[in-house]
Amino acid sequence: MNTKNKNMKSIAALDSIIASLVCILGGLLVGTVVLLLLSIVYPSIPASEAIRGIQIVLAGPLSSGNVRSILFNLGDMLLETTPLMMTGLSVAIAFKTGLFNIGAPGQYLMGAMSSLLIALSFPKPNNAGSALLIWLLAFLSGAVLGALWGAIPGLLKAVFNINEVIVCIMTNWIAANIVSWVFYSTGDRFINTAEVKTQFIRKTFTNNIETAKFGLDKVFPGSNIDISIFITIIIAIIIYIILEKTTFGYELKACGYNRNASKYAGMSEKRNIVYSMAIAGALAGIGSSLWFLNGQNEFLWNTYLSLPSEGFNGIPCALLASNNPIGVIFTSIFLRWIERGGFNLSGFTDYNEYVSALIIAVIIYFSGFSKYIKDKLSKSRTEKIIKEGNE
Amino acid sequence: MSEYAIEMLNITKEFPGIRANDNITLRLRKGEILALLGENGAGKSTLMSILFGLYQADSGKILVNGKEVHIKDPNDANKYGIGMDHQHFKLVEVFTVLENIILGCETTKFGFLQLKEAREKVVALSKKYGLYVDPDALVEDITVGMQQRTEILRMLYKNNDILIFDEPTAVLTPQEIDELMKIMKELAKDGKSILFISHKLNEIMKVADRCTILRKGKYIDTVDIKDVDPEKLSELMVGRKINLVSNKKPAEPKETVLEVKDLVVKDKIHGINAVNHASLKVRAGEIVCIAGIDGNGQHEFINAVTGLMPIESGHVILNGEDISHKSIRYKNTHGMSHIPEDRHKHGLVLDYSLEQNMVLQRYFEDEFQTVGFIKDNDVRGYANRLIEQYDVRSGQGPITISRTMSGGNQQKAIIARELDRKHNLLIAVQPTRGLDVGAIEYIHNQIIKSRDSGAGVLLVSFELEEVMNLSDRILVMHNGEIVGEFDPKKTDIQELGLYMAGAKRQNMGETKESAV
Ligand SMILES: Nc1ncnc2c1ncn2[C@@H]1O[C@H](COP(=O)(O)OP(=O)(O)OP(=O)(O)O)[C@@H](O)[C@H]1O
Ligand SMILES: [Mg+2]
Repeated sequence: MNTKNKNMKSIAALDSIIASLVCILGGLLVGTVVLLLLSIVYPSIPASEAIRGIQIVLAGPLSSGNVRSILFNLGDMLLETTPLMMTGLSVAIAFKTGLFNIGAPGQYLMGAMSSLLIALSFPKPNNAGSALLIWLLAFLSGAVLGALWGAIPGLLKAVFNINEVIVCIMTNWIAANIVSWVFYSTGDRFINTAEVKTQFIRKTFTNNIETAKFGLDKVFPGSNIDISIFITIIIAIIIYIILEKTTFGYELKACGYNRNASKYAGMSEKRNIVYSMAIAGALAGIGSSLWFLNGQNEFLWNTYLSLPSEGFNGIPCALLASNNPIGVIFTSIFLRWIERGGFNLSGFTDYNEYVSALIIAVIIYFSGFSKYIKDKLSKSRTEKIIKEGNE
Repeated sequence: MSEYAIEMLNITKEFPGIRANDNITLRLRKGEILALLGENGAGKSTLMSILFGLYQADSGKILVNGKEVHIKDPNDANKYGIGMDHQHFKLVEVFTVLENIILGCETTKFGFLQLKEAREKVVALSKKYGLYVDPDALVEDITVGMQQRTEILRMLYKNNDILIFDEPTAVLTPQEIDELMKIMKELAKDGKSILFISHKLNEIMKVADRCTILRKGKYIDTVDIKDVDPEKLSELMVGRKINLVSNKKPAEPKETVLEVKDLVVKDKIHGINAVNHASLKVRAGEIVCIAGIDGNGQHEFINAVTGLMPIESGHVILNGEDISHKSIRYKNTHGMSHIPEDRHKHGLVLDYSLEQNMVLQRYFEDEFQTVGFIKDNDVRGYANRLIEQYDVRSGQGPITISRTMSGGNQQKAIIARELDRKHNLLIAVQPTRGLDVGAIEYIHNQIIKSRDSGAGVLLVSFELEEVMNLSDRILVMHNGEIVGEFDPKKTDIQELGLYMAGAKRQNMGETKESAV
């Protein structure tokens, strides 16, 4: 009985994976059609380019030419995956509790601000120990501020039953303005005035704060990769364990599925809403901390003009993974992979990189069907089992 | 023209781990009332869902008026005049009753809803059939009884002429059931054909012309009602004889476990006192039943005692301790078990597996967790024990998603969980709602066993037979007040009825005093 049950569970997981793959395939097919259409519209592009184009997109960083640039592209892709994976997790865990965290951009910004302030405020550390200490402090502050920022919509939802989506959108713009204001009012202290780039904050390496690389920069020469990708994968696994194996996760999900029943069961559904949003915020905050503490990434401080796309991209990332934290590891890498392919597409063909954005968009549309596909799969499987049983 | 309105021929439907319908054939004559009878999980709702287009049969044919049809979704069903009153209501919680009734066939003018005409029609229908609803109340605020009436009105509103009633009476009061029986007969006389699912044999005897019996997904027989009696029906259904009159020992009440003093609870919509200075005591070793017509404050009374609704004033004392303002968790862990009225709203997390639901109030106990990690094996073992002991049937055992279980088996799961928890007060609201006679017999015996092992039982039931059978003391609630106390041996249904309708009341000294 037990092994049979386990099988059932892993079969269900397999179905979700297949469903996601079907969505991706559908997206790629439509992408090919678009490339073909474009080649018809633009006589300068031969139809054969379409097939080559989709190959390039699919191959992602592997389509970057020689080994050197492939490695360089791979490294940078993994680095860029870090913040996306975190915002994806952020959205996913909130979804599990029945909340739509569209506030990841704001949480991301608050995390970026606090970790940059801390990383750049201390006098330049002169030994590795104190540099690590400051790094840790900056990293944690990103998580904490993100958490606080996420907790605000959570609290308002719990106490006054105000829709979290509305509050999230407001807190996004409040964050954007706070960040701009803070860096504006601190003048030259943090702003990079060196290269006439006054709209950027200094990179943290100028203050000797950089995430450890553990030799990854040798494996992927030329790229800025650091160990943050491993940190985020570990965090994703931890989130998965929390959700699936702990009493806390059990409560969060119960609350998401049926708030009335969780109240009946004696869970504090209000507290769970706040916790869930705070964790979601912390995850988004960590995403930006890791990105900027890399040392080489620049922060555009005029954030009141636009919100960071990483925050919003967490939504499709979570959707495609059916909100499964482990799934988010793969979907975030996949989305970045395709994106790299898109850059290469514009480099090596006459298409521009927006085609990859379009393919990603189509995949996301298809991910809406993933549940449908999953149901179809499980249905045909039971039919098969029944047939075999009858024979 | 065919003699049959509906013919379902050789219908088979499989779900993971279970064959819910196995080669079932059912024929509904025009203008007749055909009852569908079977144990919990026999496949009745599944069969009806296939007819209504919610599921597709794996094999078999459906004929409407002799012509083969393919019903792909409820819109198709509606096209063929098929309407369904679901076992678990399909209402939009945040819509009003009126909006729910007209949903899907709204009349509009220039794109604007014409609520006025709709309202007139609904009010007329509800007057004609005595189906009282408040058209402007939000569905999330009304009782299950009123939700049921809303569903029935919705079918009538759409002028369907093949009506499926999936356990419509499970939540109605005896008076309402009588009304509904009359309505159904009238509808049949008007030429409508009715499929009627119920576990209550006397209802089937009263209204149905014929009865089709299913057992474990298989077709057993179709009988003419005039040729059978209830005993025969229940035998056909479960394959053995059932004894519903419980032979319990007289109660031996001991210390008070629950005392409610002068409780006042405000109505959520109208702000009036839904519970108006009500007091009662439940002692260990007795079953106290609150009888009354639905909507007289029972719902609010129970919710206030269990903590689901705030208390306006008054006290709730559990085992000598004032718990009026304690958390639900505190009550759960200090001896209170609660079988809730609405199994889908409160009783279960439908998307959780059966085993996860079995530990809904206990997952944090040391038996099921260490340092915050759930002990999966212990949960599985515990769930398996309850499933076996209480005969909870489902496709995949402990890992079945609760949503896919039959209504009666969902109820059995809740009952298993609540009875198995350590408790000395059991609050049970409509505990046997939707259960087949075999299961009712079993649950009644379990409740009596719980009493005999020293728990106090507070029962709310709209079924007077259950009230008379099970309780040691009966309290009648009317308009938020306790208006009478009775010994079931010294009263009868007629007398209770007078009190329930508010035609008579005793001088409840205690209540009066504290009300001043
Ligand atoms: N969507 C579903 N997925 C999987 N199994 C299902 C699904 N719907 C029903 N079942 C299973 O099919 C069987 C028949 O269920 P059904 O709801 O038809 O029973 P029923 O006769 O209506 O019982 P009750 O009197 O308890 O309502 C049950 O064992 C149930 O678990
Ligand atoms: Mg049913």
